[in-house]
Amino acid sequence: MRAAAVRVRRALAMRSYDGLFRAAVWVLGVLLLVTLAGPFVGVGGQPDAIVGPRLMPPGAGWPLGTDNLGRSLLPRLLQGIGTTLLLSCLAVACTALISTALGVIAGYRGGRTAEVILRIGDVLYSFPAIVLAVLVAAVLGPGRTAALAAIVLVTVPLMTRMVGTAARAVARREFVTAARISGVRAPTIMLRHILPNVAGTVAVQGTYALSVGILVEGGLSFLGYGVQLPDASLGLLIQEGGLYMVGAPWLIVAPGVVLVAAIMAINLVGDSLRDRFEPRETRSLV
Amino acid sequence: MDHIRWLLGRTAAALLTLLGVSVLIFAAVRAMPGSYTDLVLGPLATRSEKAAAAARFGLDRPVVEQYLYWLRNAVQGDFGTSLAARTPVATEFGDRLPVTVTLTALALALTVLIGIPLGVYTGTREGGGRGGAAGRLVSAFGMSLPEFVLGSLVVFLFTRYSLGLSVGTYVPWSQDPLGSVGSLFLPACVLAVFCVAATARTTRDAVLGVLVEPHIAAAVARGEPKGAIVRHHVLRNAAVPVLTLVATLTAYLLGGTVIIERLFNVPGLGSYLVDGLDRRDYAVVQAGVLLAAAVFITMNLLVDLVSGLVDPRIGTVGKRADA
Repeated sequence: MRAAAVRVRRALAMRSYDGLFRAAVWVLGVLLLVTLAGPFVGVGGQPDAIVGPRLMPPGAGWPLGTDNLGRSLLPRLLQGIGTTLLLSCLAVACTALISTALGVIAGYRGGRTAEVILRIGDVLYSFPAIVLAVLVAAVLGPGRTAALAAIVLVTVPLMTRMVGTAARAVARREFVTAARISGVRAPTIMLRHILPNVAGTVAVQGTYALSVGILVEGGLSFLGYGVQLPDASLGLLIQEGGLYMVGAPWLIVAPGVVLVAAIMAINLVGDSLRDRFEPRETRSLV
Repeated sequence: MDHIRWLLGRTAAALLTLLGVSVLIFAAVRAMPGSYTDLVLGPLATRSEKAAAAARFGLDRPVVEQYLYWLRNAVQGDFGTSLAARTPVATEFGDRLPVTVTLTALALALTVLIGIPLGVYTGTREGGGRGGAAGRLVSAFGMSLPEFVLGSLVVFLFTRYSLGLSVGTYVPWSQDPLGSVGSLFLPACVLAVFCVAATARTTRDAVLGVLVEPHIAAAVARGEPKGAIVRHHVLRNAAVPVLTLVATLTAYLLGGTVIIERLFNVPGLGSYLVDGLDRRDYAVVQAGVLLAAAVFITMNLLVDLVSGLVDPRIGTVGKRADA
């Protein structure tokens, strides 16, 4: 337990990471701050207020231009970032919880239990991600709940598999055998001995799942199955912007740039975490 | 002997997974709100009219019976009739499959021809420092470009400023083979960006992983030239993860080009599937998803077989470690 705590503290020390990682964390921090603080400070005004003529390029009263109804894009963009991040984070939290529990159980128990868990995961994993997402939305009805459920179902199989593999490696180690011989009960072993040692894998896979989640939300909203109007999400704004692309390209550029920046920042954070938790010797002779 | 048993086990598992998919998709389609009869007959249809329509398509039978009937026919290659278009789904698939396959093949060709050499190059010349960071940045950027963002941008650029290739007009293969490839070139490029970045990254990681192994050091000590080491020792050993990724990408492209097909107006399988979903066209959705999953599962099985050939340890070592 203490070793794990030390590892987490070390992982949180920003100084030890390279510039790319720090830049990525800054991008994410700014996005979070803007979404959380934006509505209180009233940046850009109300999302649903009509502020000027339709489809105006960026100008004084509308810093990022206006949309097809004459609404300012800036507050809608902030609302969209908020919806997308909130939905994805919530969904990935669910995924992390489910996958960690299933993965640790599968890794520790092995045998038939693992077989059943992984086989069910395989079935879900065989659906193309966006098809599975659209299917979920069709069953539940388009909207936030559907987007959330879709992200969870798309990300759970891979993460369960990864956590399961890591947990199995830990379960074979001596201290687990020692704990078992000394009569520690299985739930305690899983919680105290296996879980802390797969925390790194959970962090890495969770980060990747977050970027997949944002992609799924975007794709789903883009196809019209995700977040519904008058609500806003990044995917929905990009879809809307696409309709007026020729006359008003700014409507798609701003949400597009934010979406790409967010996904890229998350992927870079994931890469750094992976290098940190799953180190590999890379010094070569050739 | 061990190998054959392992092979049979893998095949059985794949079939079982496919069976699971078929149950799940059948249940999901039945669980969707709004039935086919509502959509096709409209809100004013009487109860008896709906019942008659349901009876005509066998939708009044018990669900388990419907499932078994569908499965039996699907195994024989009959995927039923599209409830909306009244045409056999299999025929429609036959028309649309070549489109999606051409699109996938184009994207994959770009991926393999650019992604793998790029990965080997950056992997063997890993200087760390600035070059490494730049490589990471570029590949992370490529992997972070969602196809609906990049696709929208490409559509915009090519419609706004006539750049030579037309957008949104698909030319059938039978009409003009070269024009057909040309009309699919842009969507293929958009699809390829993510795949190239992912392949380059995986190849680089695999190469770096092999380079630190002792047998490479031994080859260096023997005085083998660098090119020969890369060709004979590194590439073969780095092949498995790259192969796995390329197969996964193939399956992803064949089953998941939904967004790109919508965006570029390509009449392939993806758009057929989503349109079917919109219309509650049971037969189309079931067959489409089953096909996509079958492709994915088959690709994975193939990867296992091929990796077994490339690396004979797979299948035997893993088994003993499991026991």
